[in-house]
Amino acid sequence: MTAQNLLLVVAVLQGGSILVLIAVLLVNRWVRRRRRDRVVPRRMVLDEAIKGWAMGDIGPELVVRALEGLPRSDAVEALLAWSVRLTGERWRALAEALERRPWTTRLRAAVRSRTWWRRLEAARFLSIAGTDADLGVIERLLKDPHPAVRIAIAAVLGRIATPRLVNAVLDRLPDMVGPVQAHYAAVLRGQNAITVPLLTERLGLVYDPGLPRIVEFAGRIGDARLREPIAALAAHRDAEVRVQVARALGDYPHASTVASLRTLATDAAWEVRAQAVRSLGRIADADTLEDLRSRLADAVWWVRLRAALALTRLGVTGQGALLHAEVGAHPEARFVARLILGLSPQALAEFAA
Amino acid sequence: MSAFIHGFDAVIVVYFVVLNSFYAVLLLCALPEIWEQSLLAEDEDLVRLQQVGAPPPISILVPAYNESATITASVTAILTLDYRQYEVIVVNDGSSDETMSRLEDAFNLYEIPRTYPETLETRPIRALYRSRTRPRLLVIDKENGGKADSLNAAINASRWPLVIAVDADTLIEPDAMLRLTRPFSLGLRIAAVGGTVRVANGSVIRDGRVLEPRVAPRFLPGIQVVEYLRSFLYGRLGWNRLGGNMIISGAFGLFRKDHLLEIGGYRTDSIVEDFDVVVRLHRYLLEKRLPYAITFVPDPVAWTEVPETLAVLSRQRERWHRGLILTMWKYRAMLFRPRYRRIGMLGFPFFTFGEMLAPLVEVLGYLVTVVGLLLGFINVPFALLFLLVALGYGMILSIWGILLEEVGFRRYGRASDLVRLLWYAALENFGYRQCTVWFRLKAFWSALRARKTWGRMTRTGFAAAGPRAAA
Repeated sequence: MTAQNLLLVVAVLQGGSILVLIAVLLVNRWVRRRRRDRVVPRRMVLDEAIKGWAMGDIGPELVVRALEGLPRSDAVEALLAWSVRLTGERWRALAEALERRPWTTRLRAAVRSRTWWRRLEAARFLSIAGTDADLGVIERLLKDPHPAVRIAIAAVLGRIATPRLVNAVLDRLPDMVGPVQAHYAAVLRGQNAITVPLLTERLGLVYDPGLPRIVEFAGRIGDARLREPIAALAAHRDAEVRVQVARALGDYPHASTVASLRTLATDAAWEVRAQAVRSLGRIADADTLEDLRSRLADAVWWVRLRAALALTRLGVTGQGALLHAEVGAHPEARFVARLILGLSPQALAEFAA
Repeated sequence: MSAFIHGFDAVIVVYFVVLNSFYAVLLLCALPEIWEQSLLAEDEDLVRLQQVGAPPPISILVPAYNESATITASVTAILTLDYRQYEVIVVNDGSSDETMSRLEDAFNLYEIPRTYPETLETRPIRALYRSRTRPRLLVIDKENGGKADSLNAAINASRWPLVIAVDADTLIEPDAMLRLTRPFSLGLRIAAVGGTVRVANGSVIRDGRVLEPRVAPRFLPGIQVVEYLRSFLYGRLGWNRLGGNMIISGAFGLFRKDHLLEIGGYRTDSIVEDFDVVVRLHRYLLEKRLPYAITFVPDPVAWTEVPETLAVLSRQRERWHRGLILTMWKYRAMLFRPRYRRIGMLGFPFFTFGEMLAPLVEVLGYLVTVVGLLLGFINVPFALLFLLVALGYGMILSIWGILLEEVGFRRYGRASDLVRLLWYAALENFGYRQCTVWFRLKAFWSALRARKTWGRMTRTGFAAAGPRAAA
């Protein structure tokens, strides 16, 4: 074959490819429109069935049948949309009715899929329709390598929480970023009877490398029974643990907490000092005025900033301390006092957040 | 002579095959990436998590130089974003037009003292302003020092750990910030993340919002719609899988501030500061052996106004390519260095040989072919077939860009928009492509002369574009 013939073949193939691509574009639009036309009426039937069932006019089997009329992903989507509007008891009845349907069996089997989006679909379904029989697969999803799957399954803990599942969450804490951890804490806050003893136990494992995240999570849970185990870690050798202790104690206005935070405000690590003065500001105990005032002259900018912000929380006395610092002898304290006094209330609120 | 021409043609063919094979690889990488990204974009749990949780606070940096036509609309749009905690820092970079007075009038500004540490060196600051009506807004009025200098001044004044540089002529969609921070919520070790920049020309725009995206009916901006789709939806998505993006658009890119400060901020002597800063970030993080990702997320969208005349387009493309040449030259030590992993072994070679040298090779190819034809060394059917194949390949890549848009995002709902996109994908290769090759070729000359000018970018403004588009 000559080079010219080869080019001719390539050109013909290219022409064919262009035609195929254009056909795919058009077919894609047509298929989407057709699917939408088919799904919308079925979704309306489902919505009517769920309304009827919620009012006790019909049994759950009609809802299940309406769900089966929808594509699987749309059925899960509809269930998720309705789950926030129905009470727990009714929802449990529907979850039980869905337990042994062929399509839900396939969804449950997807928990072992190699593709994360199939596991995600399973997680979304089980987060609202999981039952006690699903504990094994829920645990597996809580430990899933893909973060989106772990986020999706979190909601199930609001309905089904066992020590095994909560431990699975606590095991994954070191891998969780702030928003995800906050999401789990919000869900588990309603399950304190199980969560708090497990957290207390873990807070005692002082050599656990994941301890900073446990303390952070305990702070987010904010149960009063966790104050003492958290405060007990104020002298931990790991600065990251002390930072989290200083942060968490800000949620516990208590005399012993203030004492711990005063100590932490003079810690060798500036991150700990910054966090401690921030927490002192949140507690806003007037007796800590001098501690905060002294931190205005700290060697580190962030500690000075946090101390100045904390002083704004002490009302007139804090304001007075800042005005005093603004014309005081220490140049860094003057600078930071001028910064904070020049901020609008909105900016102050954002800074303090 | 005949042997030389045939030999040269062979080199061109090999270059063409290797480059286009690489484009095919990029495309193959973009397919699973767009699938996964669109699934994540539609994940309600993730969206809810970011809305009710605590997404990281962001400082939005808006450098503005002679942007009086668009500044009010774009700042207003930025101030009404769907994001919990953010501040907007607009830097008037010594504009000679009414940019500053428009800001003062629109946002009722009042002067405040400067009280933050100046970590990065910048041109002198004239004054700082806050708004009586918009507490999130901070305006810095400074002497002219260029875009990079303005960004550095804004970084100094910023309070939050993430900063995003947004062009003043850019309209950000309300949920774009939430979407852009998704990789952070997923726990990825992100150093920078970029979103999609789309062409606003021709769309229906009101109050700084793109209400109805449309493909511009005019030839030049219309073709750029296809060009942007191709560049963002398969170029950058493909690079996500191939070891990290080397370009995060300066019009819409989110960075970790601590990393930016560690590398000394934006370089004021670079004319493509966005490209330069990403290359330096890669170099710094790889040398420090820190785990990181510089990634592209396709669903957060910012709309920009693209050139509508050849003269403005010429200046823009010439500057982009001059910046590419100068950056490649400046960091040439990274080329083929295993120490810089995929960036050194894949990204840099691609941008050097596939992007930087492409216009040179293309023009030489045209010239040698014409000379060969004139001297009778190359037969006409062969030359025409070769040209047809080269242009056909460009067309296929453009249509793939449109297909990815249709499958993943479907912003252009009208059938007429789809027809226009396909029409422009075909027309792009006849005239427009050759023009951009010429603009980029000129960049070599100006790079040799070490020109550091930006070139004037004339804008009509969204306020003007909106009603016209709607009419």
